[in-house]
Amino acid sequence: MCCTSTRRSFLPATSPSLTRAQLLSRTARGGAAALVAGSALGQFVGTAAADPLPDGDLAYARLLVATELLGADFYARALASGKAGPRLAKRLRLARANELEHYQSVGQILSGAGLVPAAPEDIDFGYPRGTFASEGSLAGFALELETIMLGAYLGAVEGIQTNALKPVVARIGASEAQHVAYLATIRGLASFQAFPNPMTIQQVSNALDAYTA
Amino acid sequence: MRTRLTALVAVLLLGAPIGSGGASARPAAGGVTVFAAASLTDVFPALAPENAYSFGGSNALATQIAQGAPADVFASANTALPNQLYAAGVVEKPVAFTRNTLVVVVPKSNPAGIHSVYDLAREGVAVDVAAPAVPVGAYTLQVLKQMGLTQKIEPNVVSQEVDVRTVLSKVALGQADAGFVYATDARTVPGQVTVIKVPAWAQPKVTYAMAVVSKSPNRAAAQAFVRKVLSKAGQAALRRYGFLPLPKPAPTATAMLRGTA
Repeated sequence: MCCTSTRRSFLPATSPSLTRAQLLSRTARGGAAALVAGSALGQFVGTAAADPLPDGDLAYARLLVATELLGADFYARALASGKAGPRLAKRLRLARANELEHYQSVGQILSGAGLVPAAPEDIDFGYPRGTFASEGSLAGFALELETIMLGAYLGAVEGIQTNALKPVVARIGASEAQHVAYLATIRGLASFQAFPNPMTIQQVSNALDAYTA
Repeated sequence: MRTRLTALVAVLLLGAPIGSGGASARPAAGGVTVFAAASLTDVFPALAPENAYSFGGSNALATQIAQGAPADVFASANTALPNQLYAAGVVEKPVAFTRNTLVVVVPKSNPAGIHSVYDLAREGVAVDVAAPAVPVGAYTLQVLKQMGLTQKIEPNVVSQEVDVRTVLSKVALGQADAGFVYATDARTVPGQVTVIKVPAWAQPKVTYAMAVVSKSPNRAAAQAFVRKVLSKAGQAALRRYGFLPLPKPAPTATAMLRGTA
């Protein structure tokens, strides 16, 4: 494990990672996609206010918030490493913007239930040695991460009990699948899966454990 | 004031096992009597050996202080209890001084084959926790709820202890398959337990706070001890024992969205 992210490292002067302020302001500037996701979730939040979410659904929301924070943290660090060529860097920026929009959306599940979603400063992330050493290692880790995220969302579609939540979770899963497809292609692993595998909440949690301090 | 204090004692008594954390010897010259959370058992005497300490569940200690026990300083494993005592006029304004995280410990032999929090939900696993009124017990319930595991793990809880050190010792002795303790406590019995992470996404915010007892006859010395804990040396000592520094104050989300932060 190298490159442990500390709270201090979220300061913009010393780190590519994001403070909550930066994260929210960037998401606020995120454009139409964020608005679409937000409005889709807005319908749900109204439902949730009337009918409290089960603990299991809120647990999923917490887990998905953490995966999005990890994604945003990784992409910020990957871009700051300077190892990505222009073509990959462009995609990494797009992927990071997507993860920030996803964070905002799944965070709203919690805030709609009167809870506070985790912020960047709440979780310290760490990465395997060599993750940021080359363009190949960046793409390789990104693929690993996106595969976990895709599995997490597919698992959430199955595991979440509240029907109003499923469409938003499924749409984010489709977005993660796009990331997986691109990264697999540039890694020379392009193959299509008819039924990508969902991960259980336990599998996702254990996978995340490897990247948290 | 008297009515509020009586009400507070009644509330604390509801959940407080009295008897833990009995008073210890008198402090040495210049020292004070500190009632402190059991998780501070190792670090505080190392930091200030001149004091007399009474360690136990923070809730039990708060009850004793509210009933007039002769403490000069109260150091709790949460902020709620000192704030309640402050509201009742029993202590001066509390200050946060450190943080901690929760972990699961299993006996070194790990007879139940526990490798993650989720394994605690398996049938037949004996889980030891602190009572809900004890801060670590409340944090444990919070973890279970945040992971959506309350219904699955609560049936496996075999005992509720008066403080975190009792949970730790029972697990170390193999009297339970697993228990929830602070990361700092788990470090005190190396070789006897194996530590299993509580996922970062489900961690509660464990913040410790301390306050000078209003009726302390040693107010100046008590305040000096609080300053010592907050000093660079005090904070370094806490970090040596595995405690976490306090986060820097963060602006509120609302302020950030308004661009005022």
